[in-house]
Amino acid sequence: MTTTVEVLGFARGPDWLPWAVQYFFLIGVSCAAFFLSLPGLVWRLPRWRMPSRLALLAALISGLTAPVALMADLHQPGRFINFYLHPNFGSWMAWGSFFIPLYVGSLLLYAWLCLRPTLERLARQGGRLEAAYRLVAYGGHDSPRAIGLAALSASLGACLLLLYTGMETMVVSARVLWNSPLVPLVFLSTAFVGGIGMTLLVAALSGRRDVAPALNRGLALALAATFVLLAAWFGGALSGHSPVAAQAWSALASSRPWGPTGLWFLGTAVFTLWLAVRFPRSLWPTALLALHGAWLLRWIVFIGGQGIPRMGNTWFDYSIGIGPDGLLGIAGSLGLALFLYIVLTGLIPWDERAEA
Amino acid sequence: MTCPPDPSRRAFLSAIPALTAGIATPAQAADAQATQWGMLIDTRRCIACQACTMACAMENATPEGAFRTVVATYAVTTTEGSTGLSVVPRLCNHCEKPPCVEVCPVGATFKQDNGAVLVDGDRCVGCAYCVQACPYDARFVNHDTGKADKCTFCSHRVEAGLLPACVETCVGGARIFGDLNNPDSEIAKRIKSAGDGVRVLKPEANTRPNVFYIGLDPALAGRVDGISAADMMWRPDHHGG
Repeated sequence: MTTTVEVLGFARGPDWLPWAVQYFFLIGVSCAAFFLSLPGLVWRLPRWRMPSRLALLAALISGLTAPVALMADLHQPGRFINFYLHPNFGSWMAWGSFFIPLYVGSLLLYAWLCLRPTLERLARQGGRLEAAYRLVAYGGHDSPRAIGLAALSASLGACLLLLYTGMETMVVSARVLWNSPLVPLVFLSTAFVGGIGMTLLVAALSGRRDVAPALNRGLALALAATFVLLAAWFGGALSGHSPVAAQAWSALASSRPWGPTGLWFLGTAVFTLWLAVRFPRSLWPTALLALHGAWLLRWIVFIGGQGIPRMGNTWFDYSIGIGPDGLLGIAGSLGLALFLYIVLTGLIPWDERAEA
Repeated sequence: MTCPPDPSRRAFLSAIPALTAGIATPAQAADAQATQWGMLIDTRRCIACQACTMACAMENATPEGAFRTVVATYAVTTTEGSTGLSVVPRLCNHCEKPPCVEVCPVGATFKQDNGAVLVDGDRCVGCAYCVQACPYDARFVNHDTGKADKCTFCSHRVEAGLLPACVETCVGGARIFGDLNNPDSEIAKRIKSAGDGVRVLKPEANTRPNVFYIGLDPALAGRVDGISAADMMWRPDHHGG
């Protein structure tokens, strides 16, 4: 048997930076949270009234932050206009540039239509912002039909976003960890893990423990779906049915940083599932763990996936920097999400108890 | 008072550009169709001196730590116990079916009629999707320009009648550049005479590269199962790249 030692290799660092992880995480969270808003706000199920309102807030926070993270990941952000001037419709990314405004625009319209009666009530209460509330309420009508149409448009946008983010990653045959038909499905199931986690977090910040059982039930289902998909991926890798998955598995399992990171992900995901089932009224722990799991999976896929050598045998040893392309970028996008939370909750009462 | 121009003279003068364009265009189009640039690398002649790596970096002013061409070097020990040096000079393969062109969301990456795959720097948004799609690790985002960067076969030199910098500088004459469609070219003759000994990197990727190899160990034609002499590796984070 011959043995090979790479004496001089050339490893390239990741060109999709932590910003990309933030984008894929936040947009998935937003789409899933939007779907959670439908039972209470469109179908008007009384039991879902409060969870759905909180889910809409979660969808807005993450949906407005995500495109900023995406723009920041472009190395020429000022040229984003080229996506619309010179689209190459053979590329999933080009389609994504049209799906994002469709979704975000429809989400804003949907949120506005849902909130008009609340804004009108706020205008009637008076105060310094009375005129602004009255203007934005635009009559304050509750229009179930218009809400339904806006929800339909946002649903289409959300489905297309979930489809394109998965497909954009899956079609890259050069990246063995990405090139699996299970990737879009895992992104979908973990988007729901993150979306429910974000809604739980908003509920925890509002002190609404009563919404926890329904959300934790959904979280358990989303996690169970994720485990089934991961089992299918591992099955394909270990049995040799999927040579690409087998290559990715052998690369990751032998990697010093990524092997333990993968184990940590699996361990915390199992713990989250146990917590959601055993303590259905838990808010903070399941919220934070769910968000952690959805984010970490994308971190492993994107940053770990870019580290696996395509040529030769040299891994790129990624270490996160402190600057805008690293920790500052992550903190910055989370800071923007926090800012949006403060503004939205400061101007609009999302909790029916406060509204009453 | 100025006389109106003679209509017949004006008609004659206005017809000149159309006439000359008409004569020149078919000739250029025929040339572009006929020429198919490619490179042949005879690894038996490569001594891993990295002169090509340096010449390319100097010629194309790549940022520190980013290279358009490299020579990966391996110590291969056979079952008999003898150890030898193997090399894989790498660059953009200017594929017939380039995955980078397919994924570029703004059409900034394109393939010329002469086979060279290039990047329109005025259109590139720096999304790095092409970098992800390249199976050969041949692309990178140039952090000085914020755009995708790669080997161009030194098209600026080739247009001026010069050879690519890596070919010009190769000490052992391991790199041969030329027109694959011209049976009298050195590259076409060498490929023909090598017969089945000609290989490409990652043939399973089905990209149909236009960079060919003679003497390439198939075990080194893609991802290599082996040990990485990590401490000896060049890494950008160790060198401020």
